[in-house]
Amino acid sequence: MKVLRALAEWMRVKGRSAEYLSFAVRRASGLLLAAYLVVHMVDISTLLLGEEAYNALLEVFHGPLGLVFDATLIALLSLHGALGLYSMIVEAGLALRWRRALLALAWAGALAVTAAAVWVMLSVW
Amino acid sequence: MKWRLLVKRWKEGWEKPRYQEYVVEADADTSVLDALEKAWLGDNTLVFEHACHHGVCGACGMVINGVERLACITRLGDVAVGNTVVVEPLRGFPVISDLAVDKSRMFRASARVSPETLEPVEGEGGELPGRASLRPEKLLSCLECGICYSACPIARTMEDYMGPAALALASKTLSLTGDWSRVSDALGRGGVWSCHAALECSVRCPAGFDPGGLIMVLRGKALKRMLGGGR
Repeated sequence: MKVLRALAEWMRVKGRSAEYLSFAVRRASGLLLAAYLVVHMVDISTLLLGEEAYNALLEVFHGPLGLVFDATLIALLSLHGALGLYSMIVEAGLALRWRRALLALAWAGALAVTAAAVWVMLSVW
Repeated sequence: MKWRLLVKRWKEGWEKPRYQEYVVEADADTSVLDALEKAWLGDNTLVFEHACHHGVCGACGMVINGVERLACITRLGDVAVGNTVVVEPLRGFPVISDLAVDKSRMFRASARVSPETLEPVEGEGGELPGRASLRPEKLLSCLECGICYSACPIARTMEDYMGPAALALASKTLSLTGDWSRVSDALGRGGVWSCHAALECSVRCPAGFDPGGLIMVLRGKALKRMLGGGR
């Protein structure tokens, strides 16, 4: 309960600044990626059920659902990574004067990576 | 113009807080604190803290329409949604009554640092007849209003976190004195390493003290020292 209450507090972003929103996105994306790891383990485990079962699962992800899922995954990864890099620099007491510019750069980088990845996925789909 | 103040109220013995509406007549330039005082004239049971009325004492920190602000320097017209202003007590502190909170956790944390209170400023000093020359100094900008605790997600959820104001004062104290023994608590459990750099404290600080930035400065110095590069 305490953990859930803390999480709810952390995600209270209404009226907050870009810095806070980035903090919340960093946390939320980390949690979602950890959850994805579990889903991925289950997904890989279908191999144990045989070739047919695994192929059936892959078929699901070949559709539009798979595209949305993969795009979301890449957005989460790039946001978590870029905001993590920003956080590492600032939390080490470096480039503090330029922290707003760094944050803008992190968001721009993450969104650019996501857009490029979606473009690649759409072009081979 | 009529303004609708929705004040979050709680008193000892109440099962849960409730919002009470007060309608006050004021112009858009009236401060939220003045509006609360008008409401108080009609309901003396409404409790809130205040003193200077001009953004110096730090007593009237509140959450106004979801954001931490000093009520005395916040104008109704700048924050109202329509004509409604929601006023709540600061988060991260126990509520004593209505909008008054117990900020002693912040003062206890500051006491662990024994912070410096003055810092030198640029400019020519002066001399008084028969006395030593004067060095221009100013009080540190921190008002100890508690707004940074309420804005900080870690201070709101981790009871033993020393909090932004106390850690920023520790950082300033180290910068001014170079004495690492003064900041040993700030480098321990609940100290600077517990900060997760949400930096909302710096955004909301009404005095521009930049607690988040100062915490990161202290971390940077501590890291450098650990790696053998700092004094």
